[in-house]
Amino acid sequence: MSEIIQTNYLLIGYSVSSWFAAQAIREEDDSGRILAITEDDKAYSRPLLSYVLGNRSKDIAYFGEVVSHNPIEVWWGSSVINLDGVERWAELSDGRKVEFERALIATGAIPVFPPIRGASGEGIFTFTHIDDLERMSAYIHKENIENILVLGGGFIGLKTCEALIELGLNIQLVELAPRLLINMTDEKSSRHLEKALIKEGVDIILEDTVEHFEREGQKLRGCVLKSGRSISCRMAVVAIGVRPNVAWLKGSGVQVDRGILVNRFQETSCPGVFAAGDVTETMNMVTGERSVTAIWPEAVIQGKIAGKNMAGKRDVYPGSLPLNAVEVGETALISAGLVNPPGDDDCEILVCESEGSYQKLVLKENRIVGLVFVKNIEKAGIYIHLLRQRISIDAFRDKLLQPDFGIISLPSNFRKHMVEGAGIEV
Amino acid sequence: MKKIRIQEEFCIGCRLCEINCLVKHSYSGKIIKAFREESPRALPRIRVEEEGYLSFALQCRHCEDAPCVENCMSGAMQRDRETGTVFCDEERCVGCWMCIMSCPLGVIKREQKTRRIASKCDLCGGEGEPVCVAQCPNEALLYE
Ligand SMILES: Cc1cc2nc3c(=O)[nH]c(=O)nc-3n(C[C@H](O)[C@H](O)[C@H](O)COP(=O)(O)OP(=O)(O)OC[C@H]3O[C@@H](n4cnc5c(N)ncnc54)[C@H](O)[C@@H]3O)c2cc1C
Repeated sequence: MSEIIQTNYLLIGYSVSSWFAAQAIREEDDSGRILAITEDDKAYSRPLLSYVLGNRSKDIAYFGEVVSHNPIEVWWGSSVINLDGVERWAELSDGRKVEFERALIATGAIPVFPPIRGASGEGIFTFTHIDDLERMSAYIHKENIENILVLGGGFIGLKTCEALIELGLNIQLVELAPRLLINMTDEKSSRHLEKALIKEGVDIILEDTVEHFEREGQKLRGCVLKSGRSISCRMAVVAIGVRPNVAWLKGSGVQVDRGILVNRFQETSCPGVFAAGDVTETMNMVTGERSVTAIWPEAVIQGKIAGKNMAGKRDVYPGSLPLNAVEVGETALISAGLVNPPGDDDCEILVCESEGSYQKLVLKENRIVGLVFVKNIEKAGIYIHLLRQRISIDAFRDKLLQPDFGIISLPSNFRKHMVEGAGIEV
Repeated sequence: MKKIRIQEEFCIGCRLCEINCLVKHSYSGKIIKAFREESPRALPRIRVEEEGYLSFALQCRHCEDAPCVENCMSGAMQRDRETGTVFCDEERCVGCWMCIMSCPLGVIKREQKTRRIASKCDLCGGEGEPVCVAQCPNEALLYE
């Protein structure tokens, strides 16, 4: 009989979501045992991966200690292979068994890798893990890489481009959609981004994808696109998306669709078992539809709410909000919520354009439901706050997107609450 | 923790706070140099907003549950444990603008230094009264 460990709280995966959950638990419960099990050898910030690759940041570490008298225990380099959400135990890869009162599943997302002929072998990478960073850096140096193919013009693809630009590589960016960041841009904002990338020497190929990769022995030599165009490159990064890391939950009793399904308290179908971050599927606060919103701010909010509820308090999740920020050269872009409303939706669009800058707001029933800003991004947070708080814009509609729009444009009681309130709820 | 209190009824919209803030956060700390010689010019970390007769100067509120700190994925945006000030460690900032999109007051800027970083009110480093308060001619800003 192998060892059985007991804990009040079990955190599965120890990254952003779990870290915020641990803090929230400690705020309510200073004595319960919190045990975190994680496959990683250390905690690091995933979004920093691209900045470390591009030499803009040296340090990948991020999380400090949770400040409390009773610290949390982390077992590094250890994974959970089985969960029984009903009987409340988890089995580790080394055979140990952990019994828990409450658990948080925060195992993040894993990259999607399409079955493309010629994809297996050297030179092709996905980029979501610290090991990928080390392998990619080493490969670029060892093989003296000058040309690189990035497949996927989504968020991670663009972040990868940002880094590769800093390394001075020649990049070919291939995207199946007619524009970059498909869900978070419209045509105009994408064109701004494309222009900036082209200025940095990136060759952008839209509405196309890799048909197969070509090899010379083990080594990558290039690829042929669906359009028939052939590209020569000795290295490629596949960044066509991520999906919740849920395969290991088979037989756990925890209900899963694309991601783990949770209620408003971040609790799964198994009472006492919670989930947060990239592994979940949550309700979009704008559209009301269920989706996976695999971004840092969601990991933070969901982790906090899960932690609070795990510790016996009640806190309700407001729904997810897709958010993005990228910057290429001088061109920065922020987008949030619903950027491209479906045609039959009675949304109103406001646009403000001047040289190099583009701002678009999507309004519905007197509320902001989405935006994309290029270049003039600094006030984006005000609009995003109004979106989250569902503030009616009726009283200041004519000020929206004006250059002097600011806190002063808002109704005075709301403004005062924002400026004087103890903490600002976002 | 001491905070800057805004008294909008006293603000005359003179923008001396903006000027003094810029100078304080310039390389030289000297007004003529800061405006004439330094390139790129430092940015004021305070913003005077005006509408008709109403005006006020707004800077970071150093929120209790600061969304910019929580959403900072490099650990650059942080709270000083002793003073409570929310500040950006420029060495660690990578310029991802997660803070900009999470600031409900829109008071974080992109600033060009050796690279672009997030720039915001740091309460003048916590060394006593911030310059915007000290130099306000009409007590429209208080530090208390
Ligand atoms: C290159 C890159 C750039 C990004 N940039 C941004 C950005 O700029 N802005 C933004 O908002 N978001 C960005 N993201 C997304 C962001 O990193 C994620 O949303 C966030 O990390 C999600 O946190 P999480 O806690 O849900 O999961 P993760 O951070 O994915 O952590 C999951 C944890 O679970 C562990 N684990 C997995 N399976 C098991 C198991 N069976 N047993 C034990 N442990 C397990 C892993 O080891 C890991 O510690 C980026 C992501 C990548 C990859």
